[in-house]
Amino acid sequence: MSDDSAAAASAGGTDAVETRAAAIEAQPQRAQGTGAIGDIWISVKRWLVKTSRNPFVTFTSLVQPVIFFVLMAEVFGAVAGGALTNAVGADVSYVTYLTPAIVVQSALAAASISGIGLVIDMDSGMFEKTLASPMGRGTMFLGKVFAEVVRIVVQTAIILGCGAVLLYLETGDGPGTFLETGVAGFLGVLAITILFAGAFMSFSNIVALVTRDKEATILIANSLTFPLLFVSSAFLPLQVLPDWINTVATVNPITYGVDGVRAAVLGEDVMTVIDVTAFGGAWNTIVPAIAVLVVFNVVLGAIAVRLLHRASRAAVQ
Amino acid sequence: MQSQHAPSTSTGQPTDTAASTGSNDGGPAAIRAEDVHVTYADGTEAVSGVDLAVEPGECFGFLGPNGAGKSTTIQTLVSLLHPTAGSVSVHGHDVVEDAQAVREYVGYMPQETSVDPELTARENVRFAARIHGVPAAEREERVEELLDVVDLADVADDLAETFSGGMAKRLDAANALVHRPPVVFLDEPTTGLDPEARMELWDYFEAINDAGTTVFLTTQYLEEVDRLCDRIALLQDGEVVATDTPASLKAAVGGDVLEVSLAGVDDAEHSGSTGKRGATDRTDDPGPARGTELRDHAASVVRSANAFDDPTVERTDEGLAITASDVRTGVMELFVAFHDAGLTVTGVDVRSPTLDDVFLSLTGEAIDEGETETTAPGRESRHGADAEEVTR
Repeated sequence: MSDDSAAAASAGGTDAVETRAAAIEAQPQRAQGTGAIGDIWISVKRWLVKTSRNPFVTFTSLVQPVIFFVLMAEVFGAVAGGALTNAVGADVSYVTYLTPAIVVQSALAAASISGIGLVIDMDSGMFEKTLASPMGRGTMFLGKVFAEVVRIVVQTAIILGCGAVLLYLETGDGPGTFLETGVAGFLGVLAITILFAGAFMSFSNIVALVTRDKEATILIANSLTFPLLFVSSAFLPLQVLPDWINTVATVNPITYGVDGVRAAVLGEDVMTVIDVTAFGGAWNTIVPAIAVLVVFNVVLGAIAVRLLHRASRAAVQ
Repeated sequence: MQSQHAPSTSTGQPTDTAASTGSNDGGPAAIRAEDVHVTYADGTEAVSGVDLAVEPGECFGFLGPNGAGKSTTIQTLVSLLHPTAGSVSVHGHDVVEDAQAVREYVGYMPQETSVDPELTARENVRFAARIHGVPAAEREERVEELLDVVDLADVADDLAETFSGGMAKRLDAANALVHRPPVVFLDEPTTGLDPEARMELWDYFEAINDAGTTVFLTTQYLEEVDRLCDRIALLQDGEVVATDTPASLKAAVGGDVLEVSLAGVDDAEHSGSTGKRGATDRTDDPGPARGTELRDHAASVVRSANAFDDPTVERTDEGLAITASDVRTGVMELFVAFHDAGLTVTGVDVRSPTLDDVFLSLTGEAIDEGETETTAPGRESRHGADAEEVTR
């Protein structure tokens, strides 16, 4: 680096503008960068600040699943009794059964529009600006993902709290009945939800990188994810649903997200699309669910990163 | 500004010696481009053989008409685009092999304003400071200083989305400069700004350049380039057609410019706006054809009068512009010839050539002036009825 500082020093200032004295006269210097952790943190902060700038959007996105939760619990809960008894036993209330579906649905809603941030950055020029800075490409993307994860964790906690309250109102049961698996179950729910969201964040960013259009990203996200919820084990046990839905559910990542979260909530093996018996109890659901979600993450994540690299090379087209 | 990098060449002719100009003693060039070609996916060759060698501390103007490939070249220099052929390095670091190092050296202000509309002005500048790793100890001071420079201190906590185009542009300048980069790329940094904001930014560019920052800029404000830039490269159709100091480029135009306004020419084209001239109340039908005829006639008089040594004659709105090394001494002789030919001179101006003239003579087209028309150099006194001399 000695040659660099020598080069910078070769052109000393003589008649600097008086008004801005010391700071300007200081030598220009090569940027130091902040390292990967620093980069991610800067990026997370930026996205969280941007989220906070939109209190209505944030508030609505937190309240909407709660409303959905209450309505689904009331409407489907009125008819779901028999199907539920067959699938998970008579002691499980529909509220408890539905909670994982709402958790996954909210995570899905948040994750599947994750790509919009990328499109907005491309439109505003922030994408290109960051590319021309020492910030790592991967870290700026990870920062965005982590900011999304923070939102999803908050959302999930709210929904779990909401589920406990709903259950108490319906049956008088306390939170111990709602989440029999306790703290470990709570952490398990968060972990599986984040893993699940990762797959759809990757998907959304793929859509964003291919279309480079805000409306298209929202439209594709909504029109794909909402129907996918219904062809999964989200709202009712697959046993009572038509065969074709069972077939689709087997390859639907939402099934694995919901089943994994549900196993973590109930503490029992709830997966019907694949029959695994090697791990015992809830692990017979959780292990294969995580395995499938990891595969989705790796595949979609790899495509997203590839497209991102291509976009950063050709960002100026 | 600084003159230690004055190159030895002074030809205005197309040259490919750019890469060899400038001293090469202390370390690598701040910016070096060798035979850079950039071809887009659709086959368009935006840059076709650009050579540049910019020394540390230089202020380097990169000029050319719209579409000449300036922005594409800059994007290549800041590592956003890989050259299709040729090589680019910044402080010795190759933009393809060692892009990370290049990014640690540069500050880049793209032509399109790029700020985060959902962040405040202060947050925008702070973000730019942070991603470049400005140490926490001096970060806030730098942020406030830059907000002050671009005159946004009083709206520092307003969201950028509420800013006018000019304000956003100024914010973008602060973003590009806050980390005090050794090499700054400014692509049309003051376009769309009001004159006051423009002056303030140019002053700042000058100050950081004086402090040792290499400044590489494109602009349409030629008078500022003339004042600030140590050297200039002219780009046309993706190729550098000349690289030299402003003074040498202007000298290469071939002497001073004599602008002559002729009675009947201007009003022939702008019939109706003749009030400002005295002897123009003629009754015959003035039309564009007559203006052209008058100018052609005058041009032939210039040649036959033999008053100048190898003059270049161009038609202007009002009459003619004659460029020659001896226009100042030959002007009386010409006027006599005009008088004999029945031509009435209504205004005259002798001036040194501007970069506009350089542009015209080298590329055959004027730099796109856009909204800069009112401030273009050397135009103010064109209508002067008294033969006012613009001093060198």
